Amino acid sequence: MAEGKRVVVTGLGLICGLGNDVDSCWNAAVNGVTGIDTVRSVDTERCYAHKGAEVKLTNEELADENCDRSSLLCIRAAGEAIADAGLDLGSEDCSRIGVILGSCVGGASSIDKYYTDELKGSGSDPADIYKMPAAAIANNVARHFMLNGETANIVNACAAGTMSIAYACDLIRSGKADVFVAGGTDSFSSLAFSGFHALHALDADSCSPFNRSTGITLGEGSGVLIVESYEHAQRRGARIYCDVLGSGVSSDAHHITAPRPDGLGQMSAIRRAVENSGLSFDDIDYINAHGTGTAKNDEAEFLSLHTLFDGNDHLSVSSTKSMTGHCLGAAGSIEAVLSVKSICENAVPPTIGYSDGEIAKLSEKAGGLDFVPNKKREKEVSRVMSNSFAFGGNNASIIFSQTPSELPEKPEKQPVYLTGVGKVLSETAEEPDSGKRAAVGSAEFKAHGIKMAFFRKLDRFSQLQLLSGVKALENAGVTVTDDNAGDIGIIIGTADGPIKEIADFQINAIKNGTEKGSAFAFPNTVYNAAGGYLSIFSNIRGYNATIANSIQAGLQSVCYAMEVIRNGEASVMLAAGTDENTDIESTLYRRLGVTGDGENGIELGEGSVTLVLETAESAKARGAKPMAEIAGCATAHSAVETDRIDGSQDALKKAILDACSDAGVTPDMIGAAVGFADGNPVVDKLERETYAELFGAELPVFDAKKQYGEARAATAALQAAYAAELLSERDDLEYVLAASFGLGGSYSAVILKKA
Amino acid sequence: MNMEIAEKIKNVLVDTLRIPADELEYDSELFGEDIGLDSIDSIEIIACIDELFGIDMTGAPREDFQTIETLTKYVEEHTEA
Repeated sequence: MAEGKRVVVTGLGLICGLGNDVDSCWNAAVNGVTGIDTVRSVDTERCYAHKGAEVKLTNEELADENCDRSSLLCIRAAGEAIADAGLDLGSEDCSRIGVILGSCVGGASSIDKYYTDELKGSGSDPADIYKMPAAAIANNVARHFMLNGETANIVNACAAGTMSIAYACDLIRSGKADVFVAGGTDSFSSLAFSGFHALHALDADSCSPFNRSTGITLGEGSGVLIVESYEHAQRRGARIYCDVLGSGVSSDAHHITAPRPDGLGQMSAIRRAVENSGLSFDDIDYINAHGTGTAKNDEAEFLSLHTLFDGNDHLSVSSTKSMTGHCLGAAGSIEAVLSVKSICENAVPPTIGYSDGEIAKLSEKAGGLDFVPNKKREKEVSRVMSNSFAFGGNNASIIFSQTPSELPEKPEKQPVYLTGVGKVLSETAEEPDSGKRAAVGSAEFKAHGIKMAFFRKLDRFSQLQLLSGVKALENAGVTVTDDNAGDIGIIIGTADGPIKEIADFQINAIKNGTEKGSAFAFPNTVYNAAGGYLSIFSNIRGYNATIANSIQAGLQSVCYAMEVIRNGEASVMLAAGTDENTDIESTLYRRLGVTGDGENGIELGEGSVTLVLETAESAKARGAKPMAEIAGCATAHSAVETDRIDGSQDALKKAILDACSDAGVTPDMIGAAVGFADGNPVVDKLERETYAELFGAELPVFDAKKQYGEARAATAALQAAYAAELLSERDDLEYVLAASFGLGGSYSAVILKKA
Repeated sequence: MNMEIAEKIKNVLVDTLRIPADELEYDSELFGEDIGLDSIDSIEIIACIDELFGIDMTGAPREDFQTIETLTKYVEEHTEA
């Protein structure tokens, strides 16, 4: 195989209910010792369940940083992984080392603290506001270790950890970085406990996956892998644990919480992972299953595994969640570490909790597959698959291997066009100092064939995204059919996610008790619910990811979508930016003292803008008229404090220059830019100075935000749409730049070309 | 039908399950195609009825959840005099 495609694992870090480092966690897991105990950090007194797998260390013991617990857990695991990999950060080019992390609940414990302080009247701390979004996590980790490669937080609930490792490996393969700190993290939270309790999805006892299947047990923790290009690992003489082969990501398009009973979505992800690894189903020795312990998951997963793997006579399957609990966004990353250890130690950790009678029943359900009840299996383990399936119907599968494999060639590079845009934006200010709000009501939904029975379930964030997504598909003239559904995907970028639904849920749990959570609202508190609803409504079944990474996430989604298309995983991608503005956001931003009239201080807005990106081949085949070509794109990062951007302008320059080089142009060929200035003096000055340095003073800079307010990721995506409109209206422009910024020092740049 | 109970139930359905008030009548089929409640919503209804009236509808037959009218009737019948 071409060595340029090899990605290897050189370092591991782990903390969870089983222990505070890789060795103690592995020793417990392989010997069937549980990390599940009575919950201490959440008041469960009036709940029917009281179990959880919590980390024993306090925030102060985890790391010497002032961050949310999810970040602290990850800093701890990342520190172990970097040391384990022998990465000498002092001598490395840290702009080639990035951070991609998965999370489900993000800063839930800080949200809990903020509103608890507020409701108790003891005074909340505005510093906690910056700890709330999941977007802060990767930047916190990057800043702690001073890493300046690309950062992203993939927030696809329980599949997030696996997807983060998969995406990091994709970026290394396409040369965007040499090394990634990749994995996931989530703290134990009253949000998740109350939510799963409301859904009656918690087991009253310790969970028993593939056995009694009467619910999950929640856990917390973080797993981190150092993934690295083979050349880089070799150059520095690193010890290599194993290769990361292919991965697969898919969407069920079925239900916001329940998996498809027919397992089709799961099987699609597994099949993609096997194909992208150049393997067959018979080559897998061990599957670390999703195995949550709910009846619906376990039944669907039994079916998927039997359908694809029956006949493989050396396959072991286990669910380590029986010991770690379900660590949500960290689950896939923790299981990835255990999967790699399984290869290194030639042992398979068991699924624990079976009585003798239950083992007998298991053998009926298991058929020829070995589900490793209670006791580890010592055997030769060369190839391990780890599977994660999430709320919103997201499925992800990844394969680790002791030996490299012949990976399939990527498709030949072809132009990618913007063929449609859907916009929902804030136009009117309801009351002074609250910013602008978008009109989203029954009439808008019904105009696009969306019935009340569907849209009423959605929170505001999901409603904005659904409307813009459906409008974009209509605008592009894309019809989703059973034949092309798997070839169409969705990437959504957001700064703050569905914070209204999260805050309201949390406030209710604080006021009325953990046991009074809303089963109706909880599914909407995950960041990827919007992408889930859009896939369910439109029947899109391909790649599906949501990234949280401050304002520029609305353009980073374009970069991510381009990566997916260039890897041959989809022909059509919806790339979106979405952020809401409700009483919650306007209150929080006001509290931070950053709001104003748009000239002095930002005027908040809200909305969702979805772009349809499509290969030239696909556009031609259906006779679509391109609005513009996406000629090049790039994301860059320069680590600064979570609440700032000053000092990070080098990353903006790098993003623009890398996007130019991706497009095969020089900066002097850029005819105009659609800017990101929003009335924050620091932001506006940084943009002005950087453009002047790169392009000289004459570059025309258009303003997309004045009319709509700072709708964060939505206006970032709007900048690209605006650039396409300029190109189609004006004959004097050939290339237009759209760039955006994120707090913590992330930037994305997209260069559009006249089609 | 006790209008006070019915109105309370309607309000809680509008607030908790985000059903537009102008599209919800006392005889609207809650689990029909228009409003389209599902199993998660019924968990929520059970919690709301318990909260409002102290009546546990766990295990109550499906017919009792059909409309605001049937829910009201159930509450009336199970309210201690």
